[in-house]
Amino acid sequence: MRLYLFTTALITGTAILSSSALAQETLIVNSWGGTYEKLQKELIFEPFERANNVKIQVATVYSADMLAQLRAQKNAPQYDVVQFSGGQEVVAAKEGLISPIKPEELSHAADLYPFATAGLARGEGPVSLVTAIGLLYNQKTAPSAPSSWKDLWDPKYEDHLVLTDLSNSYGLLGMLMMNQVWGGTLENTKPGLEKVGELLNRSVIITSSPEVQQNFAQNDAWIAPFSQDYAHVIRQSGQPVRFVAPKEGMPAVFFTSNVVANRPNQALAKKLIDFSLSPEVQAAFAREMRYSPTNSKTVLDAEVGAEVVHGDAINALVRFNPQTVDGMRNQLIEEWKKLIAR
Amino acid sequence: MHSIKLDLSIAAPGILLLLIAFVLPVTGILVLGIENAEGSFTSAHLVKFLTDPFYLAIAWRTVKLSLIITAICFIAGFPLAYIMARGGPKLRLWLLIVITLPLMTSVVVRTFGWMVILGRGGLVPQALNMLGLVNRNFTLMQTETAIVVGMVQVLFPFMVLSILGVVTKIDRRLEEAARVMGCSFIQAMRSVVLPLAMPGVVAGSLLVFTLSASYFITPTLLGGTRLPVLASSIYETATKTLDWHFAAAQSIVLLIGVLALLVPYTRLSGKANG
Repeated sequence: MRLYLFTTALITGTAILSSSALAQETLIVNSWGGTYEKLQKELIFEPFERANNVKIQVATVYSADMLAQLRAQKNAPQYDVVQFSGGQEVVAAKEGLISPIKPEELSHAADLYPFATAGLARGEGPVSLVTAIGLLYNQKTAPSAPSSWKDLWDPKYEDHLVLTDLSNSYGLLGMLMMNQVWGGTLENTKPGLEKVGELLNRSVIITSSPEVQQNFAQNDAWIAPFSQDYAHVIRQSGQPVRFVAPKEGMPAVFFTSNVVANRPNQALAKKLIDFSLSPEVQAAFAREMRYSPTNSKTVLDAEVGAEVVHGDAINALVRFNPQTVDGMRNQLIEEWKKLIAR
Repeated sequence: MHSIKLDLSIAAPGILLLLIAFVLPVTGILVLGIENAEGSFTSAHLVKFLTDPFYLAIAWRTVKLSLIITAICFIAGFPLAYIMARGGPKLRLWLLIVITLPLMTSVVVRTFGWMVILGRGGLVPQALNMLGLVNRNFTLMQTETAIVVGMVQVLFPFMVLSILGVVTKIDRRLEEAARVMGCSFIQAMRSVVLPLAMPGVVAGSLLVFTLSASYFITPTLLGGTRLPVLASSIYETATKTLDWHFAAAQSIVLLIGVLALLVPYTRLSGKANG
């Protein structure tokens, strides 16, 4: 009899334990690998798991693939939270693949810069982090620090320019910005192409990010339009390279976090996104990777603050309409190729 | 004794492999190049290529560079192959090792080596600078010269080995007879050895030409984005702008171009064999 009781107790005990384990909810999210994913796990996913008794599964899927997967899984979505960096949220919201988030559902919404929550009304997720495209220059060799996009045309920088091919998204954004500075629009890229054409004889054209670093290290590069986070990478490698925000403003890559539509754990997904918007998390991303925070309450160390666009300056970021850019991209790249071919 | 059935059964595995790994995918690509997004026939992609001076210039650069590379490989490779064939077995072995050794390292690694040697402040520009020929910032990188240099190094072994195989089989006494009849060394070379070695030269040239027309790693790394060749343009179109139809159309042009060259060449080698 005692044995029987003991066994029953054991069985019920196990059942309770395992049912509570079953009750633990799971969120499936995507990330982009590398340092970014590692930091996200450390700063967002693991603390969130502990605080909410939830399991987070991370899959490394880049933005364009992520959108393709969401489309394919429209009837039975497999992700709860998806992150985009290439403006895919605009398309995803239009196609009803992601759920709208109301500002009152995010405790940090009121603290975010206006541009970060502007997409909420259109059904897009909030902007969590930003990296701006400005000018990188070599403090030791360049005759002076640039302050304007037009400084690239200043002959004092001689033939020490590095330009990025438009097949690279940073290169594309830089080009669109220079086009705008010289009076062009997304519908008319002629001014930009013509003006950049004048720079070709003084420039090295690269296609991948590591080549920027290589040109500063080995090819005596002085100045290059590129991103603020990569300026940090180059600086870490020992090159005296600094990032400058040109006075005309800067284009930027906007990272958004979105709740996938037709998934059961919407509330928890929103909570996770909200958590990633906290000043502490954003400060850590600024410190480690030099991504700009979108939460105005984020406090940055002086050293980090000097290298990361933040505060009022962040409102001057230029966001080209992702859908328009998508539609014109191939045509512009072809014109660019024709321009640079010798 | 010679039955077609037997021949076929022996060649069957190879033919099967070719069908699965070559004919099928290549046909797929060819079809892709002549259809539009809806899947119906269109020649628009090919017409775009053949009427745009930009793409014609890319095709011309590809042909021009391949010809130069082939010519250099022949001019440098023929004497070397001859010496290897006529030298002692020990010399031949060592030269063989020296020539084939580079084939054992990755093309990318070798190309990065050239980037260091040809780039700003690299070995060659610095030497030229010390001789007072160029200024300090001179670089050979991102020039057609760099592409030719890099490609010749990659493809040189193919030429030498093709010629070597044929020259070793040429009867030495033919040369001796020519010399006895009063030919100088050069004359004997030109009127006896070279014609007899023609099949090897043709095979080597074909290999080198077709390979250099279809290489994209070395031209991309050494020539940069401003000097596109056909293969790198196909790569860019397929992977960066994701326009598979146009990429396929470019592949058709490349394939037909190489085939068009193959036909007269095989005729030539047929004559040389006869």
